[in-house]
Amino acid sequence: MNDSKPLTGGGLLFKILEQHGVEHIFGYPGGAIMPIYDALVDSNVQHFLCRHEQGASFSAVGYARASGKVGVCMATSGPGATNLITGLADALADSIPVVAITGQVPTAAMGSDAFQETDIFGLSLACTKHSFQVTDIADLEKVLHKAFAIALEGRQGPVLVDIPKDIQIAAVEQTFTKVASLKNKVKLPLADITKALDLLTHAKKPILYVGGGVGMANAIDEVRSFAETTGLPSVSTLKGLGALNPDDENYLGMLGMHGTKVANLAVHDCDLLIAVGARFDDRVTGKLDQFAPDAKVIHFDIDTAEINKRRIADAPILGDLKENLPLLTMSLDIQDWQTQVRQMKENCAWRYDHPGERIFAPAVLKEVSDLMPENTCVTTDVGQHQMWAAQHMNFDDPSNFLTSGSMGTMGFGLPAAIGAQISRPHDTVIVVSGDGSIMMNVQELATIKRYQIPVKIILIDNAKLGMVRQWQDLFFDGRLSETDLSDNPDFVMLATSFDIKAKQITQKSEVTAAIKEMLDHDGAYLLQVKIDAKDNVWPLVPPNSANNEMMESA
Amino acid sequence: MNPITMNKYKLIIMTDDKQVVLERILQVTRYRGFLINGMTAQVNTGNNIATIELLVSSDRPISLLIDQINKLVDIKSVAVDNSSSQRCSA
Repeated sequence: MNDSKPLTGGGLLFKILEQHGVEHIFGYPGGAIMPIYDALVDSNVQHFLCRHEQGASFSAVGYARASGKVGVCMATSGPGATNLITGLADALADSIPVVAITGQVPTAAMGSDAFQETDIFGLSLACTKHSFQVTDIADLEKVLHKAFAIALEGRQGPVLVDIPKDIQIAAVEQTFTKVASLKNKVKLPLADITKALDLLTHAKKPILYVGGGVGMANAIDEVRSFAETTGLPSVSTLKGLGALNPDDENYLGMLGMHGTKVANLAVHDCDLLIAVGARFDDRVTGKLDQFAPDAKVIHFDIDTAEINKRRIADAPILGDLKENLPLLTMSLDIQDWQTQVRQMKENCAWRYDHPGERIFAPAVLKEVSDLMPENTCVTTDVGQHQMWAAQHMNFDDPSNFLTSGSMGTMGFGLPAAIGAQISRPHDTVIVVSGDGSIMMNVQELATIKRYQIPVKIILIDNAKLGMVRQWQDLFFDGRLSETDLSDNPDFVMLATSFDIKAKQITQKSEVTAAIKEMLDHDGAYLLQVKIDAKDNVWPLVPPNSANNEMMESA
Repeated sequence: MNPITMNKYKLIIMTDDKQVVLERILQVTRYRGFLINGMTAQVNTGNNIATIELLVSSDRPISLLIDQINKLVDIKSVAVDNSSSQRCSA
């Protein structure tokens, strides 16, 4: 900051970002945020210009998820602000700490339908954990500190701060408020440890059901120690993948709609479900009243509102997993159950001996998983490729698998990978995308070009909206409606035009060399993998069915 | 939702008198599946605490709404006034 210039609201914003350790932000300028962009010139925060505000919000989400820090994005008023909304809704649904800054028309013009004025404060109510509109420059500093605290506290989430243009310009003095400790301060009284111990020690067929809350609570060591000491057969949600050791012999993989057969059968059969940072989502449970129908439930969570929301907990344990999980960590006498489940696991192992020369996407993703360097971060878009990645790739930490879980937002993968790569410049970052999803934020290829971001893009291409096509075939009598994408652009040419090296493969014999070439390449790379448009994701629990009624073929 | 068989409740909500707190409460109430049958709100200007009485009805357990309103940042407490809450019978 030039000392001769008085500090403004815009300048104060960057001082506070720096105080919170923010090094990188994602955004797009415009009229009502110009004073903030002017102050950016004098700040030490590095700004990444995305090519659409939705890209900026997803890059902030990817940054947060890959690094464990708060992701920060900003946009101008009106359309800039509304374009952030999908990313914020995604962050709310997956509990990701993000702070979004929006410019707003000057306070005197607010409420007059001014140019590029929208009530983003009102719009934020349903897509943020909390939001602020700063109408007095004296409040700005306190509000920004609170925004970071709220984003990180308890169940994490996105916070929006709307700053009118006159507040950005106003002169202000920083009071250098000491940053309050941002560790989890939520203390919750409900913890039925005695009941939980009783249930755990008497269960004959218990299952550990792990969700995204484990990674968010940074309780991976605790949950692994719990799994290892108890010897519990374990399953994971989509967002929980990476929390459990994928090589643990008692680990059964993902459960739910596209979960493994063994995970769904074991959960259906269990007599005790120990839910840890998981919330009985409909994609996990299938038909709710037939989900683990004979099981009692121990439910660990940080969020009171998740207890008894979809499934009554016999023993709720609220609070920090790091403190609470060790209270139940003990050895159990469940050898018969372990033996039964391991036998089921062996019988249900994935098969990759796919006939013919066409490329089999699950085998490609399995091979990528085997060949990718340690600590590679994988992001996905949404659809068939996402489920294949969840099924066939292994992750050793939830921060290494970034996927839009609850919102299921197509267009997530590419900008999330950009954020992940910026937060972890020394790790490999791979996007697994589809030919439908990639087009949803394809403009971010320009961000990759501008900043030379070396992400690797595996484009699973069936020239279809594959998951919708699969459902139309299975559940709508094969009446295909608006799922054909055979007029997609030439993806190799498209990538090349952004200076991204690209290659298309169509045959199994090309797969191994192509993966190695992609991983060995220094810069960004797009590998287009053509697959059969009729390939489906299996198993599949049909809608409104119990998880033990999964389909394994058409 | 069948309005004939829905349970009716009176919630007493104490909250800091902050920006849009009333809108937040109403948005959460609607989104979580509760109809609003009546409301009174007043602010104690001495301590800037607002007291909001909300009459709601729903087929869903009131605990679901209480937990969600409690999650709002500015909320101090949410309680059901049992003397005014009732189950309507057809």
